[in-house]
Amino acid sequence: MSETPLIHVVDDDESMRSALLLLLGEVGFEVRGYASTGEFLMQPLPDRLGCLLLDMRMPGPSGLELQAALQRQNITLPIVFLTGHATVTSSVAAMKAGAVDFLTKPVRRDILLDAVQRALARDAAQRTARAETDQLHARFAALTPRQREVFERIVAGKLNKQIAYELDIAERTVKREREQVMAKLDAGSAADLGRLAELLRSTDR
Amino acid sequence: MLYGIDPYLPPFLAMDRAMRESLAASADRRINFFSESLDSQRFALETLEPEMAALLARKYKALPINVVVAVSQTALDFFERHGEQIWPGARVVFVGFLGYEFKPSALPPGASAVLSTLDVAGTIEIARRLQPGSPGIVVISGLSEVDRRAEQQAREAFAKLDVQPSVEFLSGLPLAELEARVAAVPPDGIVIYLAQFRDRDGRPYEPHDVLRAVVKASRSPVYGAAETFIGLGAVAGSVASYESRGRLIGEQVRRTLAAGPMDPTGTVLAAPNRCLADARALQRWSLDAGRLTSDCEIRFADVPIWRHYWWQIGLTLAVVAAQATLIAALLSQRRRRRLAEQAEQAQRTELARAARRATAGELTGAIAHEVNQPLGAILTNVDTAELMLDSGRDRSDELRLILANIRRDDLRASEVIQRLRELLGNQKFERKEFDINGVVEELEAIMRAEARRRGVTIEIRRAPEALAIMGDRIQIQQVLINLLLNAMDAVTEQPEARRTVAVSVAKSDKGALLTVRDHGHGVAPEHRAKLFESFFSTKRNGMGLGLSITRTIVEAHGGRIWADTALEEGTVFQAEIPLASASGAFAPS
Repeated sequence: MSETPLIHVVDDDESMRSALLLLLGEVGFEVRGYASTGEFLMQPLPDRLGCLLLDMRMPGPSGLELQAALQRQNITLPIVFLTGHATVTSSVAAMKAGAVDFLTKPVRRDILLDAVQRALARDAAQRTARAETDQLHARFAALTPRQREVFERIVAGKLNKQIAYELDIAERTVKREREQVMAKLDAGSAADLGRLAELLRSTDR
Repeated sequence: MLYGIDPYLPPFLAMDRAMRESLAASADRRINFFSESLDSQRFALETLEPEMAALLARKYKALPINVVVAVSQTALDFFERHGEQIWPGARVVFVGFLGYEFKPSALPPGASAVLSTLDVAGTIEIARRLQPGSPGIVVISGLSEVDRRAEQQAREAFAKLDVQPSVEFLSGLPLAELEARVAAVPPDGIVIYLAQFRDRDGRPYEPHDVLRAVVKASRSPVYGAAETFIGLGAVAGSVASYESRGRLIGEQVRRTLAAGPMDPTGTVLAAPNRCLADARALQRWSLDAGRLTSDCEIRFADVPIWRHYWWQIGLTLAVVAAQATLIAALLSQRRRRRLAEQAEQAQRTELARAARRATAGELTGAIAHEVNQPLGAILTNVDTAELMLDSGRDRSDELRLILANIRRDDLRASEVIQRLRELLGNQKFERKEFDINGVVEELEAIMRAEARRRGVTIEIRRAPEALAIMGDRIQIQQVLINLLLNAMDAVTEQPEARRTVAVSVAKSDKGALLTVRDHGHGVAPEHRAKLFESFFSTKRNGMGLGLSITRTIVEAHGGRIWADTALEEGTVFQAEIPLASASGAFAPS
């Protein structure tokens, strides 16, 4: 990955924020600081590998509230929470909602950077997975209506003869369309097709 | 009352009073008393007599007199010469001394007498009892008619004695000479004072004054034969009580009034003589009271005072004791009250301290945050600096920036600790002038941290000008903290839009005005009156001390605090504290 990851730091405390930005900048990340959750939401979020270092308690909407807001918008930017005073309730809530980690200030460099690395790894994985499904959807979109009908029936476990009968076409035509579908969707077998169909259904937008 | 001598002499006053009391107790009608004095001892009556008689005749012309009490032979003689003319029909009661001035046979018709005896013999006997081995006796008398008669009686008394003592008569000596002669009497001698109305130069005296001078000059005991002499310094004497004489006179006057005009009277009553001694004089001359006869009355002794006035003294003591008990009770009550007040004061101080600790406890989260934030920043900055040093390049500018940040954050953390220490400290009430804006400024970081912790938006506005007040800065800090925490409590359960609290300091007409406004639930009407009371709280975990202590502090600074509240709209607390320039009414708590 040639792209430099972009780390977002949301902390209302100016000292803490600038210290974090300096450190992350020093280890080679690109950084952006925000004094409140609102400020973060107002900035356009570039489509780049990155993560969010988020202070738990701030004036106005809290870190947890921002986490919920991002989820509603399907923004999967991984979050590392930072807090001065960790309570069980807030840390459980954060982890359940998918936070990468929940760190207590003051935080040591190795722990912080480790959490950041894990967040970035998660983001990278998410981005890869998303790229794959995007490609699959694009391929699926390239199928003709007749090929889609054939595809649906193949993954439903029907034989060529049954498909030909249901679609009122020759069995030979079914065979040819089937080969086309396998080629377009880059599938090696009927089992492959089934897995792709599952993936398509689950990421249907 | 016709007195031959001065009626205001103490014995006559006592006699007169006893007579009137006796008459008042027994008489069946009202009696009017008139007094006339011939004072023959000090004035030459023979030259004044015609004019005096004429004056009295004129005076009593229209005033019928029933009884004339003639005191002394002079008075009786005067009555015999002029009585019919001045007081026609009046009957006489003679008061005098038996023997040397009067013979019962000489009593005029229709007259009666109350007599007493000048008991020189009895007095001599008393003196010799007390001083059995005395070498000689000195007798003092004057040269008036009465004086001479008394002296004559004394000479007769001595003549009757079995063993003749050596007797010296000092008759009619001028006072200075008399004093010198008395002083020369040896200490074991006996001085008998009869009375001296006039000296050989014709100078008049009050006999009691002469006695006082004699007693003062004498080294030997002085005896007297008149009741009033005992008490002026004379040791003892055989005396007739003037009081008993007075009662007898009263009795005789009543009888005379009751008798018919032609009723022959001629009654003669005699007052008894008895031994009378002065305990103080006995002591002065070291005489043994045990030598006196058992019927001798000893006056002026310490014990007799108690015996005489036992119930008055008892009552007085009882009253004093009751009073003392009451005073003691009141004092002890006052003391207990003061102790209670002190205890209460201490308790209040302790409560205030506890409340401050509780406040600090409530602020723990904010304080921890305020310390933690800079600590976190410092750690991160140190980590960064390390990385920079490891990079092998010259990055001194960046490192300098990081060091500056570290210093700033360190100071910030220690300042929080300092504030906390101030807040928790047990300092005494400090009276200093300070700007109330400064208090707001000092607390701003902590209050913002607390607001952040609670998810409350806080708005802080200071006054554009300095507002100097006089008092204790930490206490005013506490006022602000209490009001702010209160306001934050009020909005905690509100939706986010209403979770706001505003603090402002401004100048008002009367001083500095501190306002804390919240948009909480407001105070229920039934709770408004009790808002500032101790131990009143609507909060689940509230001690109910915050606002009561807040008010105490504000009032100790000469200010006042009040609240405006509306249900579901919020509450505004305002504290107004006079400025230092105008705070004459300031009183430390």
